[in-house]
Amino acid sequence: MIRTYMTGREMTASEKKRWLEGKSQVRKVEVLDKSDDVKQPDSPEAIVEGLLYIVGEDGARAEQLAAAIDVSMEDIRIILENIQRKYSSELYGIELVGYGSVYKFITKKAVYPYAQELFGSAKANTLSQAALETLAIIAYKQPITRVEIEELRGVSAEVMLRKLQARNLIREAGRSEAPGRPILYEVTEEFMDSFKLYTLNELPDLPEYTKEEESENLFE
Amino acid sequence: MGFEVETLKFEGPLDLMLHLIHEQQLDIFDLDMEVLTDQYIRYLHAMEDLHLEVESEYLVELATLVEYKSRKLLPKREEELEDDYEDPKDRLVRRLLEYQKYKEVSKTLYDSYLERQDQLSKPVSFDEIVRHRNDIETQKLEGDPYDLLKAMNKVLRRLQLSRPLDIRFTQKALSPEDRILQIKARLRDLPETFSFDTLIEDCDNVHEYVITFIAILDMAKDHYLAFTIDEGDNIWFTRGNNHD
Repeated sequence: MIRTYMTGREMTASEKKRWLEGKSQVRKVEVLDKSDDVKQPDSPEAIVEGLLYIVGEDGARAEQLAAAIDVSMEDIRIILENIQRKYSSELYGIELVGYGSVYKFITKKAVYPYAQELFGSAKANTLSQAALETLAIIAYKQPITRVEIEELRGVSAEVMLRKLQARNLIREAGRSEAPGRPILYEVTEEFMDSFKLYTLNELPDLPEYTKEEESENLFE
Repeated sequence: MGFEVETLKFEGPLDLMLHLIHEQQLDIFDLDMEVLTDQYIRYLHAMEDLHLEVESEYLVELATLVEYKSRKLLPKREEELEDDYEDPKDRLVRRLLEYQKYKEVSKTLYDSYLERQDQLSKPVSFDEIVRHRNDIETQKLEGDPYDLLKAMNKVLRRLQLSRPLDIRFTQKALSPEDRILQIKARLRDLPETFSFDTLIEDCDNVHEYVITFIAILDMAKDHYLAFTIDEGDNIWFTRGNNHD
């Protein structure tokens, strides 16, 4: 019986399946290479890699990194792409991502089952359906006012907006010119990171419903 | 005819209507408002029978539905049809379709969200930053409770990550009042500007983190301490006006 660490409860069937699937993909242990003395880095990639290790989950923007190692924006993009390419190899357990233009190292998906083993399954942050819908509306229509969101969802959004702001998924983005100058909201880099988006252009297309379609399709 | 409530969890009146349309197999593009209104009212009654509070949002949409129904009963008057007049039914259908879009797409988004939750990163090498921060100028102090909340979330997350591999059970009853005294005693040895992380160095469980957080809220209220939050969501303190 596999128990999760945090709660001590038994893993659910889906958790267990994912855990086992993840484990089966990994090959046997073998000596890869004789290690030598540590050599100091001589490439800008290696330096940037070190910097990205230090900044951890906070990540760094291309501008910051370019300034730190004194190269052009064009160069830093190439450097970051080179690092991304390097880590995309199956040799590495982490990958470099740049969601919302913030670059950081994160573990690859396949590592997670082992992390569960090591730490127990820490309860992931979940998002309610209400939170998801509100976030989706803001992401597609930003900047948008509270009233516009409420009109779309048919329910009050005030508390939800505060919660999402507290979780740093949305922020205020000035005020609308409409009467009363209501506050406008937009999504944050944290949102982009949480939903694996480099830019908002990567959002999936909204479904279109037309009269010709079978109405059943609406609910699939 | 009885009315069975399958699930009581709807995100709002539009979500409920979409459910009813699906359940009654109505064509959303040629909406039978009568059936929808009847079912909607039945549903609200069922909620009341279960002593569930019917939220005002449901009643607002009910008013729209009933208004539409009553209008149909009255003879049409010419002057009502202004140029920008949108038929309430068309408007409702438009809103239902629009809402449905975001409801649908939020499922796709949630998949990405869950996938990202399985991909972890490590906290910033914090000590390094503290070493560079010690010589910063005193900044203008500002922030609202939500900044504090955000920063506190970050602290809790860090605690979760630094959790040791074995489980310990400790019960220590520390009151905020005691904690304030402890912090005041420690203030003598602390630098001009110090971080929340410094304050909680002697804590080893969530309870103590929270008590410390409550204590500093109190101290901030009394202007004993002043705080600021930096871009990295770290809480920084200096002595407040009321510090002796």
